[in-house]
Amino acid sequence: MDRKYKFILQCAAFMATLMSCIVFAAPLGLPPVPIPPDNPITPEKVELGDKLFHDKRFSSTGEVSCANCHDRAKGFSDALPVSEGINKLKGTRNAPTVINAVYLKTQFWDGREPTLESQSAQPFINPVEMGLQNHDPILKIVQNDPEYLKLFERAFGKSGSEVTMVEVEQALATFERTLIGGNSPFDRYFYGGDKTAMSPAAIRGLDVFINQGRCVSCHVIEQTQALFTDNRFHMIGVAAHQMPKDLGELSAAVEHVRQKGADIAVLSDPKTSSLGRYAVTRDLTEIGAFKTPTLRNIELSAPYMHDGSIETLEEVVIFYNNGGRVNETDPVPELLSGGIRPLNLTDEQQSDLVEFLKALTSPEFARQ
Amino acid sequence: MERKSLNLKASLLVLLIFSAVLAMSLSLRAKEFNQEDLERWDNEFMSVVMEGEKLFHSPSLGNNKVSCDQCHPNAANTHPETYPKFQQQLGRVVSLFEMVNWCLQNPLEGDPLAADDPEMVALLAYITYERRGVPLEPGKH
Amino acid sequence: MKIDRRTFLKTAGTALVGSALPVSLVKVAFGAADSARDFTFGYISDAHIQYIKGKDFVRNWDMGLKRSIMEANLLSPRPDFFMFGGDLAQLGMKEELDHGLDIMSSLRGEVHYVIGEHDYYLDLGEYWQEKIGPLYYSFDHKGVHFVVLNSILTYDGWTHKDWDSPMDRMKAMARLDNPEGSPFMVGEEQIAWLRKDLEKVNKGTPLCVFSHSPLQKIFKGWNFWTEDAEKVQALLKPFRKATVIYGHVHQVQYNQIGNITFHAVMATAWPWPYPESYRQAASCLPKLTVHMNRADPFFERDATGWQYINVMDGKAAMHYQLPDNENRSVVYNHRTGYPEDAKYQDYADRVPPQKHY
Repeated sequence: MDRKYKFILQCAAFMATLMSCIVFAAPLGLPPVPIPPDNPITPEKVELGDKLFHDKRFSSTGEVSCANCHDRAKGFSDALPVSEGINKLKGTRNAPTVINAVYLKTQFWDGREPTLESQSAQPFINPVEMGLQNHDPILKIVQNDPEYLKLFERAFGKSGSEVTMVEVEQALATFERTLIGGNSPFDRYFYGGDKTAMSPAAIRGLDVFINQGRCVSCHVIEQTQALFTDNRFHMIGVAAHQMPKDLGELSAAVEHVRQKGADIAVLSDPKTSSLGRYAVTRDLTEIGAFKTPTLRNIELSAPYMHDGSIETLEEVVIFYNNGGRVNETDPVPELLSGGIRPLNLTDEQQSDLVEFLKALTSPEFARQ
Repeated sequence: MERKSLNLKASLLVLLIFSAVLAMSLSLRAKEFNQEDLERWDNEFMSVVMEGEKLFHSPSLGNNKVSCDQCHPNAANTHPETYPKFQQQLGRVVSLFEMVNWCLQNPLEGDPLAADDPEMVALLAYITYERRGVPLEPGKH
Repeated sequence: MKIDRRTFLKTAGTALVGSALPVSLVKVAFGAADSARDFTFGYISDAHIQYIKGKDFVRNWDMGLKRSIMEANLLSPRPDFFMFGGDLAQLGMKEELDHGLDIMSSLRGEVHYVIGEHDYYLDLGEYWQEKIGPLYYSFDHKGVHFVVLNSILTYDGWTHKDWDSPMDRMKAMARLDNPEGSPFMVGEEQIAWLRKDLEKVNKGTPLCVFSHSPLQKIFKGWNFWTEDAEKVQALLKPFRKATVIYGHVHQVQYNQIGNITFHAVMATAWPWPYPESYRQAASCLPKLTVHMNRADPFFERDATGWQYINVMDGKAAMHYQLPDNENRSVVYNHRTGYPEDAKYQDYADRVPPQKHY
């Protein structure tokens, strides 16, 4: 009887481990999910984070949650050029997808937050997002709402006044860490050995992506996995006309950042927003540089670029083909990244490239 | 009497076999290479290295007058001893000729060459020759 | 805030815009006696504007010069003046010099020019002198005596050889690894001029010499070399605070020879390999030098850029502005008497892109 009992326990433990491996194993084409040692993934935290993510009460009007701008039905973005917060207040930047955000080394278009945890706390207190003055209203709810009392207890062994923003951030980040998508037609073709997984046009598009299109250096594909981002910051010429033209305009924008802090300043003024990474590092070589986003599931998150100024994938390809310009006749910005240049792609190469980009959609996030 | 003729036949047979073997071995040795061959083949190789040196320093290799030696004097910093390797700019493991083609198409804004194109072979011969003596380190970034 | 060696090195000569440490604290650490005479100048060098045909120039080098100028125009507070370090053109053609000067005209500030071999050997400096100015001269600024030398001359026998054409001579000098090249030198005429010029200068006055070639002997194969370097160095020896700033090498280099500190400036056009990467010949890169971060050739501006120099107590703090790469600072340490990389001088602090060549 003892031995049988022991054997059943062992089987159960094995199955649990197996299940968690299946749940948290990386999909085809992605490396293992990076998990910080102080915030391991548990189903309880995921459930709590999901609820927090969708809770509209954490805004000054009671109408805005994370999910407003990061909507599962819209590729965890919002299909708008720039996001709208409380009272439909417009920011300056396009909502990045949360899918695969766990693989990014910094968060936000300018990398101003280092982790998913620290990013999650910012929109609550931004005037054009959730519009709270501070995090107190959130703490009031999570410390008193009966449902949250239960969930925080289960997830962290803490409830009521023991719960702080640290736990809120950790739960949100844990939920986001489960939003990963690989196993796209590209992955099955490139890593899975299924030569029929992509259309002939997409296969030709992959060749353009790696060679004449020069995409692969920033939107990284490697031998055994592909993040489609180099986690670096580049000035590729989007909305170059909005950037400070001279020292006077630059100084004014820097002053704005100094006074209000980067998070509030960049979302409240397009000229300040155009500083990009410079607003965070004050490095002259990074003016107008923005983080390379992943291209996974890119079909789902139109419109494109940090300001949502490019509507379709076709127009994105034209933009790159012109060497970082909407029109071929636009001036070339002096601060353009050294990786951007005219590509001389034929019409067929351009449409093949678009077909390839469409092959990067993970089945579990694809539009139904 | 019969025995004596048998012995004679045996000796003749041995002599015949021996001569045949000797003749064969002489002709086998004559097919091996000698010092003269080595020198001639080295000149053949160096003639291609010199051709490669010309191409490497030529403004007509690409389409914008830029020549390889502008960034790689004496083919320095090309690291031929590290190939095949994972090439960041191509996202996969490649041989040296593929990276030469990357340079032809990107900084030189020109067209790629086939791996067995005589011009490619000459370029590779020059690049490798300028790096002679350096131990192999395949895969080094 | 405790000023230990690590902190001192990390913050020494920090950027004018967005300084982490109050400037006064940095000056105290340097032991600067006369803060009123500290100032900044910018340095742009080695543009190598290259003509293709018609109205076309190599886009890559054009972009390099334009970017550096755009960034330099956004530096605040404004530097007192700019230097251009030589090799404005690639093959010394009028088209290249004109196009280069046209781009340079958008730089906001006074510019002093140093000539490079790529500018000189087509017409022996004729167009340069017509359009830009003298090939060697001196000037004074805020108590520092500046000298500009033409250090890319060579033996008369080579210069006045029976060339097929002036362009032939230009191309021979343009080819860095030319086995039939000829070493750079300052020459007797300039050495005599320099001796006279320096006679009038007080030996306590900080001295800064600009030249295109290194005024040292680093690697003869690529003309990282000046044949009469010792003669020039001897003339600088009496000065307590002497600095030489040079171009030509397209890489981070720095050195200390006796009382003279040497700093190389970066090219706006393209980086060059370190001489040790050519294994068939010996070279002498200064041991002090921490290599620049190795470039990814996909990013055309990687390991290119410009620099601004803070003159602090008569010596240089060089701040390299390197897009797509890591900005570096090489600062003269008055306590040790050596120039030091502000972050990486300690071997233990170095990162793979500096070691993995």
